[in-house]
Amino acid sequence: MSAAIEIAGVSKVYDGGVRAVDTVAMDIRPGEFFSLLGPSGCGKTTTLRMIAGFDTPSSGEIRLDGADITHVPAHKRDMAMVFQNYALFPHRTVAENVAFGLRMRKVDKATIAAKVKAALAMVELAGMEDRRPAQLSGGQQQRVALARAIVISPRVLLCDEPLGALDKKLRQQMQFELKQLQKNLGVTLVFVTHDQEEALAMSDRIAVMNAGRVEQVGTPVEIYDQPRTRFVADFIGDTNIFRGQCVTMDQGTGIAVGNSLALALPRPVAAAQGEVVSVALRPEKITIAAADQSETRSSGTSARGTVESTNFLGGAVLYRIVLDGGQRVLAQQPNSGAGPLHTPGQAVALGWRPADLVILED
Amino acid sequence: MPGSSAPRVNSLALLILPSALLFALFFFLPIGLMAVMSVLTGNPVVMPNVAFTTKHYARMGNDSYYLEVISTTLRIGLWTTLVALVIGYPLAHWMARIKSRTGHALLLMAVLAPMLTGIVVRTFAWMTLLSDKGVINQILISLGLIARPLQLMYNEAGIIIGLVHIYVPFMVLTLTGVIGRIDERLEQAAENLGASPWRAFLEVTLPLSLPGILAGSLLVFALAISAYVTPILLGGFQIMTLPILIYQQISANFNVGFAAALGMVLLVISLSLVIAYNHVLGLVSGQRELQ
Repeated sequence: MSAAIEIAGVSKVYDGGVRAVDTVAMDIRPGEFFSLLGPSGCGKTTTLRMIAGFDTPSSGEIRLDGADITHVPAHKRDMAMVFQNYALFPHRTVAENVAFGLRMRKVDKATIAAKVKAALAMVELAGMEDRRPAQLSGGQQQRVALARAIVISPRVLLCDEPLGALDKKLRQQMQFELKQLQKNLGVTLVFVTHDQEEALAMSDRIAVMNAGRVEQVGTPVEIYDQPRTRFVADFIGDTNIFRGQCVTMDQGTGIAVGNSLALALPRPVAAAQGEVVSVALRPEKITIAAADQSETRSSGTSARGTVESTNFLGGAVLYRIVLDGGQRVLAQQPNSGAGPLHTPGQAVALGWRPADLVILED
Repeated sequence: MPGSSAPRVNSLALLILPSALLFALFFFLPIGLMAVMSVLTGNPVVMPNVAFTTKHYARMGNDSYYLEVISTTLRIGLWTTLVALVIGYPLAHWMARIKSRTGHALLLMAVLAPMLTGIVVRTFAWMTLLSDKGVINQILISLGLIARPLQLMYNEAGIIIGLVHIYVPFMVLTLTGVIGRIDERLEQAAENLGASPWRAFLEVTLPLSLPGILAGSLLVFALAISAYVTPILLGGFQIMTLPILIYQQISANFNVGFAAALGMVLLVISLSLVIAYNHVLGLVSGQRELQ
């Protein structure tokens, strides 16, 4: 039932020369939960609309299980889309909305009735058959849109920020349910979102997009732990980015940031001496100790600084620290209960493993 | 604070006074007078001993000629509405959905431009096209397609052509507003679920634009049955409609009472259509906007 989608060098140029999507290439595997993640205007929705057939690529090819569908009209693609505003037919009841796709496929009435009932039961809307969309809450409309899409057993399910309009609690519940549903049905799902937490929590793989291009494709862990570019590192989660000139250090190659901070790199880089290299360091990979105890840490690069602010987040504590060289650094510690919090103004020593530094492409 | 809100409402209410006066003076008063005149034997200003009568209405009912005029008027109105709808809907849909701003401006200009010319001028333009020696007949004859001129005017068809041209902008503008408010994604959702573009239109856009179809049709019909200049010029007094008959009764026969009765018939037809429209609209949108 589920299908593979190949997007091969697809661009979309609008009248007036705006390149909404710029030579995007990605392979979406059968049965995969695949997210297109990026800020608004990054081309993720245009990409989805081209997969659905609402927009035609200016160049490139889209293939469904190897067959070129670039110019196949939307209604012959056998995909189902859940729209951001749900796009439920306001003049039809819930049951009629869900039955629409089956009716277009000329399924007989008895089968339609049975399938609609099953689909509504699956999204826990049994008994709502005769309501109109306007009589439902946002979450219920969301479920109707989902039922309307899955009832036709599409080869691909497309979701355009389907959870964006829901409040946080309901959104988390729907994230879980959608993921479960997708796994049970085994359907290929392409999910567009600008919410990185949502993408990390739900996806098998994520394509991070920016300014019409794909910055990186990978599993949530790869995207978070091994961001390839400065944009990805910055967009996903909190991060510290250091830019410095390439220098030779005792431990191998390193970068010099300003006058007083030198970072050892985890691996040699192609950059020549003196070239600028960016590295990322996640706040939670940094350990903090009061300055007087710092020398006890034998291994690891370290830096000294002063706590600027302490944010208690409940499960963790987020510190903003000014290094002696003037750079600002975010560091996050789990609230493990070991020792008091570091207070603003306190001198601290920071430590991390060179392996936790990620070298970025600009 | 509750005390201060009352005078504010009153002062705002004063703002509708001019329009209320205007309506009373130029709308309700003349119509009221017309209604009164239609049941009097003569003009009370010049004849002191007028009496109540229903003879004007009885005359209409007893003479099949007048019923014929009423049915001709309604028939012309219906055809005009239908043709205007068939021509106007695709145009309105195009205008509502066009992406390019220049394209939208050009379309809007094309729709509005004829309205900048007077009705008489436009009707004469049609006469130069449709008459026996007009452009259309001359071309067809010189091409050898027909031997003698086709009768394109001085009949109902000619009147309908002229009326459609004049009233199509009303249809287009009414429909464009309604179609423009229908979310394009609804059609996309229908196509996405397997409906061809035409099917998606029939299943989604058409039913959702029903209020616009009703409003536009009502407007065009009401205007078409009360049209006077176009039926005279393109009908050449061969076709008698209610407005022409009313004018004749006043100017030639000096029978103001009968003219008023005919006017009341025209008014009742339009009013009952408006009431029916509101009723149907209530049914259509009542389903949609329950809540």
